[in-house]
Amino acid sequence: MTLTIANLSAGYGRTNVLQDVTVSNIPPGAFVGLIGPNAAGKSTLFKTIAGLITPTKGAISIAGEDVTQLGRKDRAKRVAYMPQAYGCNALLSVFESVLLALKQTTGWRVNDDNLDRVSDTLHALGLSHLANRGVADLSGGQAQMVAVAQTIVRAPDVILLDEPTSALDLHHQLSILTSVRNEMDRKKPVVMAALHDLNLAAKFCDRLVLLRDGAILADGKPEHILALPQIEETYRVLTDLERTQRNVLYVDARLAHEGTVGALHH
Amino acid sequence: MTLNVDPVALRHAYVARVSRRYGVIAAVFGLLCLSFLLDITTGPGGYSLSTVAEVLFDPMSHGARLKVIVWDYRLPVAVTAVLVGALLAVAGAQMQTILNNPLAEPFTLGVSAAASFGASLAIVLGISVIPAVGPLLVTVNAFVFALCTCGFILLATRLKGVGSETMILFGIAIFFTFSALLALMQYMASEDQIARIVFWMMGSLSRASWEKIGLGTILLCFAIPFSLYRTWPMTALRMGEATAQSMGVDVGRLRVEMLICISLLAATAVSFVGTVGFVGLVGPHIARMLVGEDQRYFVPLSALVGALVLSLTSLISKTITPGIIYPIGIITSLIGVPIFISIILSSRQERLQ
Repeated sequence: MTLTIANLSAGYGRTNVLQDVTVSNIPPGAFVGLIGPNAAGKSTLFKTIAGLITPTKGAISIAGEDVTQLGRKDRAKRVAYMPQAYGCNALLSVFESVLLALKQTTGWRVNDDNLDRVSDTLHALGLSHLANRGVADLSGGQAQMVAVAQTIVRAPDVILLDEPTSALDLHHQLSILTSVRNEMDRKKPVVMAALHDLNLAAKFCDRLVLLRDGAILADGKPEHILALPQIEETYRVLTDLERTQRNVLYVDARLAHEGTVGALHH
Repeated sequence: MTLNVDPVALRHAYVARVSRRYGVIAAVFGLLCLSFLLDITTGPGGYSLSTVAEVLFDPMSHGARLKVIVWDYRLPVAVTAVLVGALLAVAGAQMQTILNNPLAEPFTLGVSAAASFGASLAIVLGISVIPAVGPLLVTVNAFVFALCTCGFILLATRLKGVGSETMILFGIAIFFTFSALLALMQYMASEDQIARIVFWMMGSLSRASWEKIGLGTILLCFAIPFSLYRTWPMTALRMGEATAQSMGVDVGRLRVEMLICISLLAATAVSFVGTVGFVGLVGPHIARMLVGEDQRYFVPLSALVGALVLSLTSLISKTITPGIIYPIGIITSLIGVPIFISIILSSRQERLQ
């Protein structure tokens, strides 16, 4: 279902972080990359869409329905947010941890359908062999995959992934994003992921949104966005956009001479 | 990559694990029944199990004396041990979950120390925090102080920047404060009063009564279903606050609700038996090792293990030296401290079975 964010402003207490953010008409099955430097407001935007922060202004609609008025549980049914990775020392198995994510928005009793959904999700993400492992005993990459499973199992309309690839090796970075893409082909949710790696963003995303200081600088296809001068300004680097032999976009970024970087701001 | 087990096998593995858990719960329940029976047959009188059983089903079958011993003394004590063990263990289990701290329980957070001070205030100065309670003065005072301490803990968790480690330090501060005030009470007390305070501080089942049992049962009948009702958000909280929140759990509200529930349980338990430390630690700890932290199994099993521990303690307190009943608080502390230390030392060494 189509996600539209219109004129959204939000923050913590009196500090306003997001200013008039509009991202319209994200169609089902679209993978949107949210890029921008640290403290650009990416997490705040996700938390606001997920309903953890109440916006001061603006609307978030899924399939034309304004979801800002929904209660926590109903909101969680429509939008699944994966926060940045935290350690956890619970004595729960991977299967149980995915089941509990599903049970937050379904009835109290565990039924056969619940167990099927958990089993299928673990299978689809290639986590079956970890099902009986304790969540506290997972490697960083495995824990991140389980966190993805916890969001996907709920079959939401919108999936928000906050830096899903941070602290992962190359294999796990690719396997997480590939799994997400496969899932999108199956169930057609809208996926938004905050990504630091512009090359990963270029490779996996259908659309990029560049955020800086809580405002949107650019929104469009990766090949357009990554070629913009704002990318160089925002990240304070010099870039060349190329295509690899397999026709994948590649951002070649380098630090400019210090004076040049400073000059970009003026 | 490792082989990917098919989904049907995954389901079966989970269902098998769940039935194993019911097995564990049934086994602990069996042990509890056994311990309970042994508890009511053990005592200075030395009556056989069959005699006691006959008195249980037909109070007057062996005369009025035996009826009084079984019905008015042994049975209330044995039932109180089971009940208070369960109350303390459920309170401990929930505290550990909401404070994300495996060391939290009524004793380590200073709730027991507050109750002891409340009791001593009534014993020594005759001061009642709630007027006109009559003979219940000591119990009511203990309850009110315990409840206020839980309220303080609740407020402290609402403060910004108070993490789970800070909570335990708060507990220690509360413990020290009330210990000092208790020492002051002892200093001011007469010999007779000191004897009563010491009795309180060491924990004792001898003040058991059917009225207290009734009240405790009502509370437990409210607390366990409520905990089960909140089982999924509570389990989610074990994944971390941020994760639970992202799954749609209102963590702040859940904390307040659970802390109110826990406060009632803990305050009731300590006001019944005095300071009985570490049952709220040992019960959940053993339950966690047996069934993990899915609260649907963890909370009921914690209650059963806590009940079993205190029931066994009651039994031990009578059998060490025939004719003498030792204070149960001493025994639970001797059992509990090694487990307390082992929890501190083990940085999650335990694995799921």
